[in-house]
Amino acid sequence: MRAPPPRVSCPVLLSAVALWCTLALAPAAAPGDGHPGVLLSRQLADAQGLSAGDVVRFSTADSGAGAVAFTVIGIYEPTPDPMQINASKFEARLHLPDLLAMTASPDDLLAAETVDQINVALHDPAGAIEFARHITTRVPGVQARAASSSNRGSVFVVLEQFHLAIAIVTIFASTVFLLALSVMLVDERRETVGVLRLIGLTSRRVLAQVFTEGLLIAVSGSLFGLVLALASESLINRYFQWHYDTALIFVEVTPAVAVQCLLIAVPLGVLASVAASWTLLRRQVLFLARR
Amino acid sequence: MTVVEARGVSRVFPMPAGPVVAVRDVSLRVDAGDYVALCGPSGCGKSTLLHLLGCVDGPTSGTLFFEEHDVATLGDRERSGIRLRRIGFVFQRFFLLPMLSAAENVALPLAEAGVPKPERDARTSELLRYVGLSARADHRPSQLSGGEMQRVAIARALANRPRLLLADEPTGELDQATGEQIAELLGRVNADGTALVIVTHDPAFARRAGRVLTMRDGTIAAEERHR
Ligand SMILES: Nc1ncnc2c1ncn2[C@@H]1O[C@H](COP(=O)(O)OP(=O)(O)O)[C@@H](O)[C@H]1O
Ligand SMILES: [Mg+2]
Repeated sequence: MRAPPPRVSCPVLLSAVALWCTLALAPAAAPGDGHPGVLLSRQLADAQGLSAGDVVRFSTADSGAGAVAFTVIGIYEPTPDPMQINASKFEARLHLPDLLAMTASPDDLLAAETVDQINVALHDPAGAIEFARHITTRVPGVQARAASSSNRGSVFVVLEQFHLAIAIVTIFASTVFLLALSVMLVDERRETVGVLRLIGLTSRRVLAQVFTEGLLIAVSGSLFGLVLALASESLINRYFQWHYDTALIFVEVTPAVAVQCLLIAVPLGVLASVAASWTLLRRQVLFLARR
Repeated sequence: MTVVEARGVSRVFPMPAGPVVAVRDVSLRVDAGDYVALCGPSGCGKSTLLHLLGCVDGPTSGTLFFEEHDVATLGDRERSGIRLRRIGFVFQRFFLLPMLSAAENVALPLAEAGVPKPERDARTSELLRYVGLSARADHRPSQLSGGEMQRVAIARALANRPRLLLADEPTGELDQATGEQIAELLGRVNADGTALVIVTHDPAFARRAGRVLTMRDGTIAAEERHR
């Protein structure tokens, strides 16, 4: 039997039946031609040491009875899904007729013609609802609905609010820390500031100097932070991709995120240094000679 | 011509334990080319009076005139301008900027006054030669001795050719011989036309001045004239 060309076939995601597939999975003794083709998830192929060209046998029964041989024609990376992060990714994709031939009851002649459920991937996921409505009206008896459930959305809304809360606390705490640090730094330089004021620099001039320095420090500090984030980004991703065995991207410093960081960090840094110096400059030049 | 004049000047510091009268009703005139020494026990108000004369601090009562200007009417900008161009300060603890070389310390007030680079460099080496430190131009303060640091401080104070040089115990941290050299140098500064007000505990140093004012409890208790 020749496998129909993949374009015509409808790949069925078998994650639900993945477990029994692996239980019954065993490399066939003789690598023969003429077996129908099957796609294996990378995780399954890795776990079983399989590669394209190998022959595997699938059975729908725990006992392994009635196993059918398939030739592995490819390995695929399952679409990363944060909702399935902990789920086993042992999957196989069969051509629909092959699957039906395996699962249909021989007593029920209609069974081979029956499909309960199929997943359809759209090029434009945004059109899912429109597409579902279209199918429902065109094919009576078929229930079509978009896969992106509201449940999934709300999980991410909660996550994002959690992130926002962490970000606010972090920024607040580091601003306080920065201010304390600036006050200490400026206090260390009170003698320098005092000398400059005595020589005849106006307080505005000293403040401008401090502002420039604060700006330089804030910009280089922010850039350092960004470089650190970019450097650790691949590290974090690689660790969690290894840990969860997924191609999911966990962290990504997008240009928008980078710009947002700069927009927050630079003004805060400058503000901290200027605020710290302000306390010093408001005082009289006198304190200098008083130590 | 009068450089600075205090008329009935007082300076009171409000303290939690009650106000401290550091300078009490002092009247004093310093003319161009004068050499005045302020003496007296610790805490009698010498530094405070010096700060008033230097437009660093303002009097609580009384009036201070710098070159005929009532200092109280001047803003931060004008006072800073006076300190930059008309007054030089020298302190017991030198107060050089540690991250700058001797030459850079001297050039700082020149740069602030907007003197162009070629002129600034020429004036800086002239000043370092004047205080005898040409060979140490590129040294940091930490690489200089106390006497050398004080020479750099004097060169810096003279950078913009001030009318008045104020020195608060300039030999206080120096040994006898080095102190005498600094006193010598300051004598030369005065001889070259700069009015000088120095605070000192050293009677020999004070005797170099034309007028010696002895302070007690914030007031001028005695005045002695030499020469
Ligand atoms: N900034 C200040 N705040 C409070 N008290 C001060 C301050 N400056 C000076 N005093 C007080 O004024 C008095 C005179 O001080 P000062 O002029 O430094 O004396 P001197 O220089 O003669 O030793 C002292 O009692 C000193 O404690
Ligand atoms: Mg003193």
